[in-house]
Amino acid sequence: MKRILLASLLLSASASAFATAPGGPGCGWGNMLFEGQRGLPSHLVASTTNGTSGNATFGMTSGTNGCSTDGALQYNGKSMIVLGSIMTELSEDMAMGEGEALTTYAVVLGIKPEDRAHFASVTQAHFDEIFSSADVTAEQVHAATLAVLKQDARLAQYAEQA
Amino acid sequence: MLRPLLLLALCSASTLVLSAPPDDSTLRSLADEPYWHSLGHYESGKLGGWRSYVDDDDFFLADGGEHDPAAELAATLAALYAPASAGDRHPQCVFPARTRWLRERLSLTDLPTVECKEFRTWYADVAPHSTVLVFPAAYLNSPSSMFGHTLLRIDQADIDTQGSPLLSSALNFGAYIEGMDNSVLYAWKGLMGGYPGLFSLLPYREKIGEYSRLENRDLWEYRLNLTPDETGRMLEHVWELKQIRFDYFFFDENCSYRLLELLEVARPGLKLTEQFPLTAIPADTVRAVIDAGLVADIDYRPSRERELLARTAPLESEELRWVRQLADDPQQLERDDFQALPSERRALIQDGAYRLVRYRVTGEERDPANAAHSYRLLQAINRNPPPRLSVERPVLPENGHESRTLQFGVGSRDERAFAEYGLRMAYHDLIDNLEGFPLGAQIEIAQLRLRQYEGNHWKLQRLDLAGIRSLTPLTPLLRPWSWQIAAGLERIAEGDGDDRLVGHLNGGGGFTWQLHEDLLGFAMATARLEHHPEFGAVISPAAGFDSGLLWRNGAGNLLLEARGDYFHNGEVRRRISLAQQFEVRDTAGLRVGLERSFSHRAEPETEFQVQLRWYFY
Repeated sequence: MKRILLASLLLSASASAFATAPGGPGCGWGNMLFEGQRGLPSHLVASTTNGTSGNATFGMTSGTNGCSTDGALQYNGKSMIVLGSIMTELSEDMAMGEGEALTTYAVVLGIKPEDRAHFASVTQAHFDEIFSSADVTAEQVHAATLAVLKQDARLAQYAEQA
Repeated sequence: MLRPLLLLALCSASTLVLSAPPDDSTLRSLADEPYWHSLGHYESGKLGGWRSYVDDDDFFLADGGEHDPAAELAATLAALYAPASAGDRHPQCVFPARTRWLRERLSLTDLPTVECKEFRTWYADVAPHSTVLVFPAAYLNSPSSMFGHTLLRIDQADIDTQGSPLLSSALNFGAYIEGMDNSVLYAWKGLMGGYPGLFSLLPYREKIGEYSRLENRDLWEYRLNLTPDETGRMLEHVWELKQIRFDYFFFDENCSYRLLELLEVARPGLKLTEQFPLTAIPADTVRAVIDAGLVADIDYRPSRERELLARTAPLESEELRWVRQLADDPQQLERDDFQALPSERRALIQDGAYRLVRYRVTGEERDPANAAHSYRLLQAINRNPPPRLSVERPVLPENGHESRTLQFGVGSRDERAFAEYGLRMAYHDLIDNLEGFPLGAQIEIAQLRLRQYEGNHWKLQRLDLAGIRSLTPLTPLLRPWSWQIAAGLERIAEGDGDDRLVGHLNGGGGFTWQLHEDLLGFAMATARLEHHPEFGAVISPAAGFDSGLLWRNGAGNLLLEARGDYFHNGEVRRRISLAQQFEVRDTAGLRVGLERSFSHRAEPETEFQVQLRWYFY
């Protein structure tokens, strides 16, 4: 009981302290392309403990990315958390025009299955605009994606609802 | 103490006005049901009675509930009637699976209605619909990964059409590591139960990153045929385990055992855990799940390293040189002689180079120069994309031989005949039946061999604590180390037909070459510490070498090996050995071995042995 209480106290404290970025700092908005991967110190440790870097977390959107889930996160919340954690894979898939991360991005943007192939080819064609440099952040990629979608007759609807 | 009493008092007051409580005998027989034992993680104690695997007072409502399923059931039933004002702290919210089961079994129609906002939000967020058992396969250069790990993936509805596994949750059970122990201490404490075990729920995409990128392990995903109701029931119970501490032991009370318990909660009547009274090695538990008819379909997710090797496999050596050059310097993309290559070959080379660049920085902090480099290559890939990469599916890991081995051998050592009896608790050596294992990996834990010489003369031949070997071949792109480490007791010839039992710890490092498709050659420098009763020093160090050939052939595997140890006290020990395993059947192998050993302290000796090896759980 005490632990849970303490955890939620900490969570709300950090959220209010960094109220500027929706979801709190490190939530995914500022994640950069080619971010390193966290992990346990060694194979041996990983194999005898089977612990993970996200050791005591217990939810999908809470905790794991340092995100808070209070009101501020509603706007673009989920797509941003997801995007922040698959940036590198997404850039690879988008460059090549297919892949699981690209599908995932389409899903969180609300793109219907029948429009996903088109989404893949449009974003592949505009790869240089969406991933405009090696140092883009998730927030910039998201904004650039919406800008590209707006240019496309068939995909513009998704840019508006996002 | 106070809390349960208080709850009891509160509840007995409220039950008076409501329907008559179920009588004692009903409750007692309910508490004897396997499902209640599953919910409480009870096991029958060695001396009778019960004991729960849970090591956390927050999980029990009754005093001594960890030893008393009946008292826990009575306390839970009473607690469900606590005033609804308790909100998220109400036992109905803390124990949704217990609540559902008791409500159904006792037809409780008069329970107070509690909102349980926290639980409902969490449940809606996870949105459980179907379950996948995930088994990260072994990685050659990390033999300890051969023990494996299992976790569950909880998918939302319509995963194949509307969703993506990257949006699913991973349910993981592992040791909870706090603070900053050093690596070895970590590993040791993990083995010995020094950390508590906790469940965690996190995005599956993070687990993919961890296994396929950081650890280079392929992921096998076994889709289970659990219904949405069964998956939901399991998740209700998972909520009850939030922040709850279990004992964690690497060999038995580990991730795989806990997951089997969860599956028993999902589908009442399954009997999975009782098959693993002593150890629960993940591959064995995967087999148990398959045998129970739970698997509907199997997906394969290759590791990043395997993708890199698959992408570059069709390239010629000149093209591989380009891969290395582009990975070292992106400016090379502009070179005329590169641009002169056919565009489909350039597409493969660029993709290979990109993958190599990413592979090299695995586990490292983001580096702006490397990021710029990676980005350059991605842009090139974008302009000239390669065809989709398809990676051939390897043999299913659970098709490998079972984890324990019984050995029975007959042989002779310098004219003296012997019979040998051996037991190895786990798992696989270089020439054991290979299907389902990578060639060149060995991990042995706890091996005992007894010898019976003529005249009923018994000897402890060897007792191995552990023996790990990793022979990972060099490739044109990757230059992994090969290494080995072993510790235990073994018998060393001492002249005039006598021998001594010595304690040893040794290790080595070097390289392995892929000499042919099924032939590895290796060479390592070694170091050894030995406690020998006849040596003056308590611990005698030695330096040496270990090299050989490992050949995968039609009958099985063959190992030709030469080893030498040069002790500081002048003793020199050399051995050359040849062993061939014949893979007789899935569960058995026949091994023929010949060894000649030389020492300054004894005449050369020759040993011959024929051994039957039987794999069992």
